[in-house]
Amino acid sequence: MGDFWFEFVDITQIVGDGLLFGATYALIGIGFSLIFGAMGKLNMTYAAASLAGAYVGLAAFTFVDAPALAVFLVSALASGLIGFVVYVACFRFIPINNHLAALMASVGALFFVDEIIIHTTDGSPLTFPAMFDYVMLELGPYGVRGDLLFVFAVCIISTVGLLYVLYRSRLGLATRAVSQQDVAARLCGIDVHRTNAVTFVLAGLLGGIAGAMTAAAVGVLSPLITIPLTVKGLIVTVIGGLGSIPGAIAAGLLVGGLENVFLYFRGVNERDMYVLLLLFVFLVFRPHGIFGSAINRD
Amino acid sequence: MLELRGLSKHFGGVKALDGLDLTVDEGEIFGLIGPNGSGKSTTINVICGVYGQTAGTVRFRGELMDGQPPHRRLRAGIARTFQNIRLFPNLTVWQNLWVAQNSHQDIARQGFLPRWLGTTRQTRKEIAGLLELADLGHKGDDLAANLAFGEQRRLEFARAAAARPKLLLLDEPAAGMSRVEIDDLSRRIRRVRESGVTVLLVEHVMELVMGVTERIAVLNFGNRIAFGTPSEVQHNQAVQEAYLGSSSPEPRPAGRKS
Repeated sequence: MGDFWFEFVDITQIVGDGLLFGATYALIGIGFSLIFGAMGKLNMTYAAASLAGAYVGLAAFTFVDAPALAVFLVSALASGLIGFVVYVACFRFIPINNHLAALMASVGALFFVDEIIIHTTDGSPLTFPAMFDYVMLELGPYGVRGDLLFVFAVCIISTVGLLYVLYRSRLGLATRAVSQQDVAARLCGIDVHRTNAVTFVLAGLLGGIAGAMTAAAVGVLSPLITIPLTVKGLIVTVIGGLGSIPGAIAAGLLVGGLENVFLYFRGVNERDMYVLLLLFVFLVFRPHGIFGSAINRD
Repeated sequence: MLELRGLSKHFGGVKALDGLDLTVDEGEIFGLIGPNGSGKSTTINVICGVYGQTAGTVRFRGELMDGQPPHRRLRAGIARTFQNIRLFPNLTVWQNLWVAQNSHQDIARQGFLPRWLGTTRQTRKEIAGLLELADLGHKGDDLAANLAFGEQRRLEFARAAAARPKLLLLDEPAAGMSRVEIDDLSRRIRRVRESGVTVLLVEHVMELVMGVTERIAVLNFGNRIAFGTPSEVQHNQAVQEAYLGSSSPEPRPAGRKS
């Protein structure tokens, strides 16, 4: 009985930590989904650009001694700017039906961003300022890490902000109008290129926050995170159903929670293998994602 | 108001429009009719900028429209409805009208951020007016996808009116409508005209065209074969032949209808 109880507490603790960290995956998944929902295309550069944003935030912290909270703001802005550049370079001038060209262009941009990071940091990991890592909330047998709680809270606030813009503001409605019926949107006077650019910037802002959050939770920024974060983001996007924002949120938390369980039972070397296995389970049994057949963003 | 000169649009070897000349005067309701595949929809698509023309010019209020993207033409005052309804299905009726308020006037009146993030009393009042125009006052919060067919048609009409057009292009607005709905539609068209809008009506439903328009041009094979008042056109020999002749199946090139 006693052993079982401790085991239970351990596992729920692990799942809880994973859920909190999974919020960053949810943000990355939302970013992929936003762009996929608007253009029907994957922006492969997205996760790398998010981390690049975090690097700029870290630079602000290191060189001009910016307060820790401003680091997240700078990360968001930098990543939003990179999002705009990626849109112009990889999507704006590529014919709308040429999905493969846009995909490959953004894969190219992914490696380009990665190379820039490696060259400016000599490829070595940098310490990222953690926030509230000295706080530990005691809840009965559980302890909640302050930094994870902070990460989770920021993720929720940014998601709520994004949902507000998307569903309640004219700007968000215009981007959704473009994704639902782009010919009519253009003929209703909506500038499609501009709303697409806005979508990339919005996704970028969100990504910068996610990148900084990931770095804050892990404690370091390293070019070694780029590809794994891209893969995790894509897994979350697919499990959530391509283009579905509620799906990306649920899938992000699911992957975060289960990842920690895999880590607990099978160790860090095997963890990602099981996450990929989870992807295949979904591809076979729920190919349209957690919430069914949501092909478009709504 | 609107001046088409030598307008041609070729799709590969198919000449959907072949040197069309047409002038629409300010304040009139102008009808454009013709058998299937005669180039009516192509004309609308070229005027509002969905397609670029192969040759010829489109002038709107004296200004050359060539090469202007659709959203700029809309700001200049050209709005349209679609033959096959193209609403934003997952936005509400109210939101469909809100995102369509993109006239120069609307853009100039509000600053960038207030315009994109919020509403004003003025916008809300105007949307209420548009809802009333479409008889959809009680359905503002319904998703467009959940409206009945007739309601969707009315919303399309109001959405085009939301852009404060100077020229309104109606692409077969009466297709599939009942007698009562057609009467209703003619009243709505007249009402829009009275508010200073010029209307170009492309239509198969003769009841509507003959009842509401002042001048009619008849197209066949991408060119104008007749022109005049409704009664003149009805008694025109060439028109009767074109319509009787069109009973034989005519190949319709892909992409011709939008």
